[in-house]
Amino acid sequence: MTRWLPRTYLALVYLLVYLPILVLVVFSFNESRTGYSWEGLSLRWYESLFNNRAMVGAMWNSLWLALSAATVSTVIGGLTALALHRYRFRGKKLLNGMLFVVMMSPEIVLAISLLALFLLVGLQLGYVSLLLAHVTFCLPFVVITVMARLSGFDDSLPEAARDLGASDFTMTRTVLIPVIMPALLAGWLLGFTLSLDDVVVSTFVSGPSYEILPLRIYSMVRVGLKPEVNALGTLLLVFSLVMLMLSQWILIRSKR
Amino acid sequence: MKKLVLAGLLAVGLTGCSSEEPQVLNLYNWSEYMPQTVLDRFTEETGIAVVYTTYDSNESMYAKLKLLDESAAYDLAVPSTYYVSKMRQEDLLMPIDRGEIEGFDELDPELTNLDIDPDNQYSIPYLWGTTGLAVDTSDVEGEPVKAWSNLWDERFEGRVMLTNDMREVFHVGLLVLGYSGNSTDPEEIEAAYEKLAELMPSVRTFNSDAPRMPYLEGETDVGMIWNGEAVMGKEIMPSLEYVYPEEGIIAWLDSFVIPKNAKNPEAAHKFISFVLQPEISALISEEIGYATPNLAARELLPEEVANNRASYPTATDMINAEFQADIGDEALQVYAKYWEMLKSGQ
Amino acid sequence: MHRVLQQPFKTAVLVLVWGWLLFLVLTPNLLVVGASVMTRDPGTFISLPLNLDAYRQLFDPLYLDVFLHSLYMAAMTTLVCLLIGYPFAWSLSKVGKQRQLLLIFLLIVPFWTNSLVRTYALKLILATNGLLNSALMPLGLIDEPLKLLYTEGAVIIGLVYLLLPFMILPLYSVFEDLRQELLLASHDLGAGRLSTFIHVIVPLTLPGVLAGVMLVLLPAMGLFFVPDILGGSRNLLVGNVIKNQFLDARNWPFGAAASIVLTVTMAFLMFAHRLSKRRLGEEGG
Repeated sequence: MTRWLPRTYLALVYLLVYLPILVLVVFSFNESRTGYSWEGLSLRWYESLFNNRAMVGAMWNSLWLALSAATVSTVIGGLTALALHRYRFRGKKLLNGMLFVVMMSPEIVLAISLLALFLLVGLQLGYVSLLLAHVTFCLPFVVITVMARLSGFDDSLPEAARDLGASDFTMTRTVLIPVIMPALLAGWLLGFTLSLDDVVVSTFVSGPSYEILPLRIYSMVRVGLKPEVNALGTLLLVFSLVMLMLSQWILIRSKR
Repeated sequence: MKKLVLAGLLAVGLTGCSSEEPQVLNLYNWSEYMPQTVLDRFTEETGIAVVYTTYDSNESMYAKLKLLDESAAYDLAVPSTYYVSKMRQEDLLMPIDRGEIEGFDELDPELTNLDIDPDNQYSIPYLWGTTGLAVDTSDVEGEPVKAWSNLWDERFEGRVMLTNDMREVFHVGLLVLGYSGNSTDPEEIEAAYEKLAELMPSVRTFNSDAPRMPYLEGETDVGMIWNGEAVMGKEIMPSLEYVYPEEGIIAWLDSFVIPKNAKNPEAAHKFISFVLQPEISALISEEIGYATPNLAARELLPEEVANNRASYPTATDMINAEFQADIGDEALQVYAKYWEMLKSGQ
Repeated sequence: MHRVLQQPFKTAVLVLVWGWLLFLVLTPNLLVVGASVMTRDPGTFISLPLNLDAYRQLFDPLYLDVFLHSLYMAAMTTLVCLLIGYPFAWSLSKVGKQRQLLLIFLLIVPFWTNSLVRTYALKLILATNGLLNSALMPLGLIDEPLKLLYTEGAVIIGLVYLLLPFMILPLYSVFEDLRQELLLASHDLGAGRLSTFIHVIVPLTLPGVLAGVMLVLLPAMGLFFVPDILGGSRNLLVGNVIKNQFLDARNWPFGAAASIVLTVTMAFLMFAHRLSKRRLGEEGG
């Protein structure tokens, strides 16, 4: 087959994928209020973004939520993956199945089911409900990432450690954890981004005591064109790029 | 050491640094329905921070309050006329202590002590307004638009905007057919649905977050709008006119209420008093274009605001005006069903 | 291995994991099933008696229309994703290995930015006074600005934009596994290009197609914020209907029933995916 055809096609798709983002970044430096025409370079939207107290508050809330949700789901997800890999126990299939269901079911189904649960047990909608919900939808992704790493790992090493008299806990800590560390980090980063980006689940399980960024953005973009959103989007883009580069760097380094 | 730090961080996160938190007022209000300067000045004067959360319909406000009932999430909400009586009857509200409220006597007697809440035991009027026609005169050619029924004109195909408000949209449908906008008759509601379904090919968008925006952005040229939004829109786009339709305008009154389980009713009372100050009420009316029920504030308004027919209609403008009334849950269900169908736009 | 069974560490891990999943996955899903067979109650959301009214309402021709229309929107989205993604994954598999990784990375980067912000960026482009129209008008390609925003087309564009990577990634992985020898063998046996495509490439990449369809079709029915922003707040997706039932109209049984229909659709697709994989395994083995 000719070589230029696939390449041109790839280039075209990338152009389409990146065009909206490019527009967003360029227009975040636009002086214009209406947002459609170019009226000169300006940082005023970044300024007005940082002067918006509710926005900055929501940003911190979101970061803290993403940080804690990613951490908790990494701990639980990492342990789940270890359990699935190493132990034989009853109901393993059911456990696997439930994780699969979480990953595959539409977000909105997860959202309403969690809302029903929180109402039933009388949990106040706020940080805790958001944390529980976010950890739940991040969990399967961490499990899969770690499982993938474990499946390529030789089982003789942990057995050797055990034969040398190490307890199960010690063996896990000294042998397995270092092995799965890159996967844990990758899973953590994935969880962090998933949490930071989530709109659907958060719409249902958040309360006014803990306002988060995606919901703030949602109410902003529904009002209409707001140049502050461009500025915010650009900042988020830079932030996730840094995170993504970091994760790639960690993965590459760990392979050496 | 690392573990200790982590444990400490988690503990802080879970308790949310409770002890030294400043006082907070959780205000649940329509989007863009209070100038930021008012909130800032309130915080400056009282030290109480305001968390402003928004909704775009009475239905979603009500549903959220019911959801969050036990967790006492909001200290103050701003339902429209008919939702005040609905929420009062369903025992969702806390009585307002009039002794804590300053400036109640300044309110227009015609807008207090209404059937929706006799003697204002549960609600204090915030703003009132109307829903009428918006016309972008630079883009609408031919016959001037004077009535709701003009929206059905063929020339407006794909150019109409409706508010994202079930009761208001059906109000228009009912009015055009000559029924009351507060009809509870399922047959009349169905007829209104049929009528509105004919309008759907013309409807480009529903918007109750900021109904002026689709006009300003050039997406729509004619349709429904709230008077305050029309006033704000005209400042940016002078060709945007507010028209009182022949069939009659929709009128509403939005009032402060305190949800039954509010955590900080004290701050809520303070906030109401703060808004009732003539100077603040005047500032709000001037900035967002709706009419204040505060008579002392109206004295303070600049001439061009007080005489703006969009904000403050004349007696003739209000001839066919109809206030929205509570129609009961059964009729609401009928509306809700047809509303879902209408918005599915088949 | 038997010594492991008596470990406290293992017990602790299993209790934690099981506890989490039973409490936050199994129970909530059972609750939704329960809610769907109860009666709507204006005060407490749901109440007894048990009945199937919600399902009956769902299959009311009027609501069925909404569901089918949502399915149509999602199917169009999936189709467009497939039409873009299939040649994309194929082209990608023809590029050098090192460059492939970089290109995949570039594909995922936008996926890491907030999806609301990206949807909003599309609005900047599609609006009547937006960039697309202001680019096309001076070129003389159109006289009147195109009315793209607040249409079904805009919603499909938005959904495709958000979901494209989910179609491409599984497709890429099957194309990567596609062994070059097989294609050569087919060629040697005298099969033409088209015949090779139909008889060899399509069946071998089918599991990837189905995985992609699964990952796109269902989310496409649930992303309620896309019609909110790009579709003029119309109920174009089941997600909007479900959200309205829970957060506006307070008809929980109906909302729950609608979400169960979504789940059943998902189960059906997963079954089809498994079946296709198994059949392929049998043929190949």
